[in-house]
Amino acid sequence: MVKKAKFDESGDSDDLQALFDSIASTPAVSAAPAPAPVAAAPAASDAGDNDDLQALFDSVAAEFTAPAVPTPKPAAAPVVANVAPAAVAQENDSETIEGVFTRIGQMTRQVHDTLRQLGFDHALQEVAEAIPDARQRLSYIAQMTEQAASRVLNATDIAQPIQDRLGADAENLQAKWDRLFANELSVDEFKALAADTRGFIGGVAEGTRQTNAQLMEIMMAQDFQDLTGQVIKKVVDMAQTLESQLLQVLLEITPNEKRTDAHTGLMNGPVVNSEGRDDVVTSQEQVDDLLESLGF
Amino acid sequence: MADPKMRFLVVDDFSTMRRIVRNLLKELGYTNVEEAEDGAVALQKLNSSQFEFVVTDWNMPNMDGLTLLQTIRQTPHLKHLPVLMITAEAKKENIIAAAQAGASGYIVKPFTAATLAEKLEKIFERLGKSAVA
Repeated sequence: MVKKAKFDESGDSDDLQALFDSIASTPAVSAAPAPAPVAAAPAASDAGDNDDLQALFDSVAAEFTAPAVPTPKPAAAPVVANVAPAAVAQENDSETIEGVFTRIGQMTRQVHDTLRQLGFDHALQEVAEAIPDARQRLSYIAQMTEQAASRVLNATDIAQPIQDRLGADAENLQAKWDRLFANELSVDEFKALAADTRGFIGGVAEGTRQTNAQLMEIMMAQDFQDLTGQVIKKVVDMAQTLESQLLQVLLEITPNEKRTDAHTGLMNGPVVNSEGRDDVVTSQEQVDDLLESLGF
Repeated sequence: MADPKMRFLVVDDFSTMRRIVRNLLKELGYTNVEEAEDGAVALQKLNSSQFEFVVTDWNMPNMDGLTLLQTIRQTPHLKHLPVLMITAEAKKENIIAAAQAGASGYIVKPFTAATLAEKLEKIFERLGKSAVA
């Protein structure tokens, strides 16, 4: 019975419903004198339980204490009236299996009740619903930062050639002026140089204006930080909530579980916090030192 | 500086980083730069045309940088290629693994233009290609 986890009106999942149905339909033992464990019917039916479910559970529990009537569903123990010893032996086996099923049913009920009482089933639902939202936010952040990076690189692509040209022209003119001061230029050449220099000075003014515009563009491109910062804060809050909720649920259900460190492998991305860690490097210098110490 | 026409292949899944490395190489005088967004595409390009230098990230989809490096070192017509890793992976484990796999150099992000220049020079020296004696 594979169903998507749905919650009916009472809040119980369909899966739990199915589990109880299957327990209820397993055959009862015939005339067992052995006292079967009384199913601890949960007294807290005020926890919002479906009354039907409660009644079902009570009936399952009752079947094990009262002399039972063979149910219509045939089981591993077909009732053969005249073979008494064999019947008793088979009864004992079925009883053990039934006992196990009953206990599992009880435990499941307990887990379910605990989750419900602590309000976690709804909390988990909310948190699960919050995850697609977080994904969207993170995509937005990636988009914003990429746009900003693009804008900045474009601005530098425009500004650099302008600066390069200014520098080249300046060097060119300087060489000529040096020659002039060394008395190597003719009068005509000097006039040409003067004109060139005048043009150059105009060019510097224009080039500087253009470069400043690009610098302004670079500065403005940093505006992503404000927006992404806000979104990041929201995602961090969500992650914190998710973490604490899950931890609490885990602790409630499996208090004796030991924690094991996940093996993180070699694809961890940038080190965000190197405090207290001695398995990472924090500078190129350390990289070089490590490689050198290994003989590379 | 080695042959300015040297053909570089820059491999990184972030286009911004590829652009930055390209610009830095241009600053150093190397204008012949191709790009690939993961190890698999890089191998395709390496096998279909001639390159003299590979600069690669580590953490990439389809084929990561370490696997790319290992594959290069195992391919007869590619194993001589200098491979410089530029990556955010900063565990000592990573550095050792890269060195053992045959990386020619390891730069950790974020890095400076000076660091890139220095590491390139070091690799060229070892290859005996540097013009600076």
